[in-house]
Amino acid sequence: MNELNSLAIIAVAALIHASFQLSVSMLTLLSSHTIGARRSHARLLGLSGAFTLGVLVMTVLLLCTVALLAQIMLYSADSTLTWITACGLLFGLGSAVWIFYYRKEQGTTLWLPRGMARYLSDRTKATKQTAEAFGLGVSSVFAELLFIFAPILVSALILTGLSPALQLAGIALYALVSLSPLITVNSLIGSGHKISRIQRWREENKSFMQFIAGGGLVALGFYIYVDQVLSPTVMAAAGGF
Amino acid sequence: MPKRPLIDVVKRGGKRSTEAFDPTKLHASVLAACMSVRSPEAMAESAAESVCTVVIEWCRTRPEVTSDDLRRVAADHLNRIHPEAAYLYKHHRLVL
Repeated sequence: MNELNSLAIIAVAALIHASFQLSVSMLTLLSSHTIGARRSHARLLGLSGAFTLGVLVMTVLLLCTVALLAQIMLYSADSTLTWITACGLLFGLGSAVWIFYYRKEQGTTLWLPRGMARYLSDRTKATKQTAEAFGLGVSSVFAELLFIFAPILVSALILTGLSPALQLAGIALYALVSLSPLITVNSLIGSGHKISRIQRWREENKSFMQFIAGGGLVALGFYIYVDQVLSPTVMAAAGGF
Repeated sequence: MPKRPLIDVVKRGGKRSTEAFDPTKLHASVLAACMSVRSPEAMAESAAESVCTVVIEWCRTRPEVTSDDLRRVAADHLNRIHPEAAYLYKHHRLVL
């Protein structure tokens, strides 16, 4: 796999990560409560900025951790088997996203167990300090680990095959693309847009987002299967050409 | 704000204990919804007052109401005077 191809796969995986909505939902709630409680605009920007920073830190930490583990384990494991596992995960999670990601009710309610959703919602409402907002951002990434693990794993596996300089570029690319919805929502809120309009847009387009996320996972899984599993096997069978 | 009627509110799904109806809580939640959509403060106060008056009037003939009833009646009235705020008020539990 050439370098451009590797970075393109990382960007697509990050785009799939970006289509998962838990962090965006929490940022919307946090901003809504902050404006509703008549806190200053500077406080609103501080809290939403700290939340986004928390998401950034946790995303980069997760990606680096999985990449490190993959690098250690790939010395002893068969890499074709690793890619097959990653593809299986992508296909399975793609189907799960199509079936489970949003609940079939009004609003943008997610797959989360209701007790956990209520807890996160209450914590978001109670957040007043930037340190709390940072922690909330960190926990929002962790809460969505079930779904974001597949794109993170694929990116981590790709990163292990790159040079150190390109690894840094890959991590930066992943972080930037996966955070793009949060950056967009932050900019909209900071520039005075109404939360209700943002939330209404999210609700009207949730089926499309769900389809894109699930379809992206399946398509990425198919591409990686052909590129990393099928092609080397066929080449080996044809005598290594 | 109109006089507070003596009625019990059955909390969400009946799983939590009932509590006395407190119009100030309703006022605060409607006000927060209006402020969240960046309404001017006077307009938000006026909308919250209006919703409280309608809900208190609706409660007068009922000895016991559910929190969902209160939310529905408040949202219906708020929808007539401030649709953007009503949308947030109705959906704030449906974001996550």
